[in-house]
Amino acid sequence: MKKLLTLCVMAVTFVVTVHAQEKGSVLIKNATVITVTNGDLENTDVLIRDGVIENIGKDLNAPRGVETVDATGKFVMPGIIDAHSHLNGVDINEARNPVTAEVTMEESVDPNEVGIYHALAGGATTIHLMHGSANVIGGQGETLKLRYGTTQDGMRFEGAKRTIKFALGENPTRVHGQGNGIQPRTRMGVEQVVRNHFDEALDYKRKREAYLEVKAEYDRRGRGTPPVPVAENLRYEVLNDIIEGEIYVHCHSYRADEILMLMRVFNDYGIKNYTFQHANEAFKVAPELAKNGAMTSVFSDWWAYKFEVYYSTAYNASILNANGVINSINSDNNQLLRTLNHEAAKVVRYGNTTVNDAIKMITLHPAMQLGIDDYVGSIEEGKHGDVVVWSGHPLSIYSIAEMTFVDGKKYFDRSNDPDDMRIDINPGTDFEDGANFREIVTRRDEDACLQDAFILMQNNTQN
Amino acid sequence: MRKTFLITALLFLGMGVQQVFAQTTPAHALKNVTIHNADGSVTESATIVWRNGVIEAVGTNLTIPFDAYEIDGGDSLHVYPGFIDGYSIWGSPELPRNLPDLDDPGNPPYDRAGIQPERNPSELLTEDKSFEAAIKAGFTTAALYPNGYMLPGSVEIFYLSDDHNSVELLSDKVGMAGSFDTAPGGWGSGAYPSTLMGVMAKFRQVMFDATALQQHIKYYSQNPEMPAPDRSRVLEALFPVINNEVPLYFEVDQKEHIERLFKLQDEFGFDLVIVSGKEAYAKADELKRRNIPVLASVDFTDAPEWYKDMKKEEESDDSDSDETNEEISEEEQAYRDKQLEAWKLEVANIKSLMDAGVQVGYASAGLELKDLSGKLETLLEESGMSEQNLVQVLTGNTADILGISNTHGSIAKGKNASFSVFDKQMSEEKAKVLHNITNGIIHELIGE
Repeated sequence: MKKLLTLCVMAVTFVVTVHAQEKGSVLIKNATVITVTNGDLENTDVLIRDGVIENIGKDLNAPRGVETVDATGKFVMPGIIDAHSHLNGVDINEARNPVTAEVTMEESVDPNEVGIYHALAGGATTIHLMHGSANVIGGQGETLKLRYGTTQDGMRFEGAKRTIKFALGENPTRVHGQGNGIQPRTRMGVEQVVRNHFDEALDYKRKREAYLEVKAEYDRRGRGTPPVPVAENLRYEVLNDIIEGEIYVHCHSYRADEILMLMRVFNDYGIKNYTFQHANEAFKVAPELAKNGAMTSVFSDWWAYKFEVYYSTAYNASILNANGVINSINSDNNQLLRTLNHEAAKVVRYGNTTVNDAIKMITLHPAMQLGIDDYVGSIEEGKHGDVVVWSGHPLSIYSIAEMTFVDGKKYFDRSNDPDDMRIDINPGTDFEDGANFREIVTRRDEDACLQDAFILMQNNTQN
Repeated sequence: MRKTFLITALLFLGMGVQQVFAQTTPAHALKNVTIHNADGSVTESATIVWRNGVIEAVGTNLTIPFDAYEIDGGDSLHVYPGFIDGYSIWGSPELPRNLPDLDDPGNPPYDRAGIQPERNPSELLTEDKSFEAAIKAGFTTAALYPNGYMLPGSVEIFYLSDDHNSVELLSDKVGMAGSFDTAPGGWGSGAYPSTLMGVMAKFRQVMFDATALQQHIKYYSQNPEMPAPDRSRVLEALFPVINNEVPLYFEVDQKEHIERLFKLQDEFGFDLVIVSGKEAYAKADELKRRNIPVLASVDFTDAPEWYKDMKKEEESDDSDSDETNEEISEEEQAYRDKQLEAWKLEVANIKSLMDAGVQVGYASAGLELKDLSGKLETLLEESGMSEQNLVQVLTGNTADILGISNTHGSIAKGKNASFSVFDKQMSEEKAKVLHNITNGIIHELIGE
């Protein structure tokens, strides 16, 4: 019995640690600070108080009760931001309709996914949890801080812009056109689905507003002819929010022609804030992208996993950058998310992009694409204390993330890194059965964002 | 053999009419029994007298009416208020299989989206062996709902019997059943919504559509010159939820799901009863704040094997237990600590909720009755709950949550005669139900 009691006491202690306070304070001393926006500062201290960077300078003193980290010989960098992730989605694709703007990944967050901890160990602090690419207009995304151990709401990045996933090309045409025999079956159809739905949404808005106006009048006067009610429509409400600029579009795309197509459509509807995801052929239309203020979020060197992704180059990111396109490097993969610093380093290696610009591609630029650059993406006074201490320069293959802070709170510390960091144990799972939780390296031979939806296409081939 | 005694024709009569018949229908008396009340008090050498399904008198030293059919408990039988299942699928028709593919899975008809709030269990009840098992287990009353998906139908309360034909309606449409289940058919022949986030969105849309229809019906009644509304049995069945006339009985376990449900409640303001709620303990304070009752499942995970072995060893012999102790790694030990903690939290769910002041009743919510006694045993051994707590949950609390506590949930004068007679205290090993009295009807179970 005594043994049992001890077990319980230990377990309770664990739970308490996990649910510790959200915001922290820390003084990181004597590091090389990669500010991103103000060069690299040597022998510099960073003071984070109550989650916010309060001071960057030399010989800072730790306020009472604030932990000091000696980072002599080490590098401090803003936390890595992944603009394209499906890390901890409960579901990824609501793939039963070509347009599902009404669904949102905000309601599909699994805060207990141990991969969150693995990502922290790779220096990542924020991800853009995206809906999949099965639909022309997919679900809304959710920008999350990797506050491992909190609730789904606790992970939300307060103040982040709302986002939504669009998808062009093979995925939506295969899932819906070939899979279900409905529009879109071709790239032309994809464009038409977008245009039709925007038009329907605008039409809905006129009718709904007219109804509400007449209703208010009728309810007030209590006579006259009452209006026929127009029900609130969640899908069209979200589409109108896109048109009105309240939601940033992140569009899964590969080919240059479809990228140009969507920019034309968006110009017709006055939509301004958007990022092309993957965009392997974006380099072909880099000046056009820059002219439209369109942004891109690409892989450093990943292609040929399906027909529309053969024409690709490892110079994509560098060419876009040289043309003034705000570009980020993303993972779309839980393993790659842990080594996004290497992906950024490849951009330097392939295209001679400057080190600072390459680092921007995994910090400030994704922050801009998610509308969180006022809060994160660089080390500046007043920004959030989302920083990582690296053993050496983060773009070196030999460097290791040693500590990861989110809001000044330490979520990863390599010197205190237990083997098993799962926080949601199913009591029915035996040790042996659950021991594969460390298998974070998954195959990377498909679009991660079409996960779950492949079967819809396979289904069709049998028909 | 089980026999069903008397009183069938008068089942449906209301209280007011009963007095007229009071002297013409024979009474029943169960004497020399120990009564375990829902509040935990115990009355020994007690007698219960009932007629026409209503308890006429209860207590010690009663005068038994001259016309009463008497059963003598011989001071060895234990009587408990009838157990009430707050949310059960008994008697529900099977789910449809081999659904045909839809031409447009994105716009399925309501039933294919899992939206069938217009269905009522009283119109659907079908043969189910569970009814017999329920009577044997001491259940006299149950709230039933039809098997389905996101909005499978209404919740209605029934007097139980061992045969579905004599299961009688006690109270109709007391609530609306709901869950986060996706549309039927899975990936193959499925439809929208096929994901959790899709269900959340579709739920909202259905509520918006029902709200608009209700508005239209209201306007049309005031002004018949306007275009008539398109009536919809499906949407109209949701009006009582929208109007806060009945609560939504929502089946959820995961704490994240409970959070999602709170979000929907904040948006629409409906009244809520949480069903099953295996991780509700993690949200106990919020449930209390929102005044949401929980009809809790006891279908918790089996204890880890290593833990069972350890307990067995401790019970049998502590002197040479070292021999049988297997060597395990530090990592496995650490895992076991977490595993046990998780299991203990799950088993202690009901207790934690009660301690936090949340109203907790019982729901089988899919648990098979053959597993019930084992689960209750674990509950008593591992969760710190007493038999009294358990009886309270299974009877009075559930009656309160279902809104039938004026007639059910306790053994008292004027209450419905629904109680069960055990051969020993229910928490004792191998305790058995000998008679189950539902709405005054005796189900004799001796000899089985």
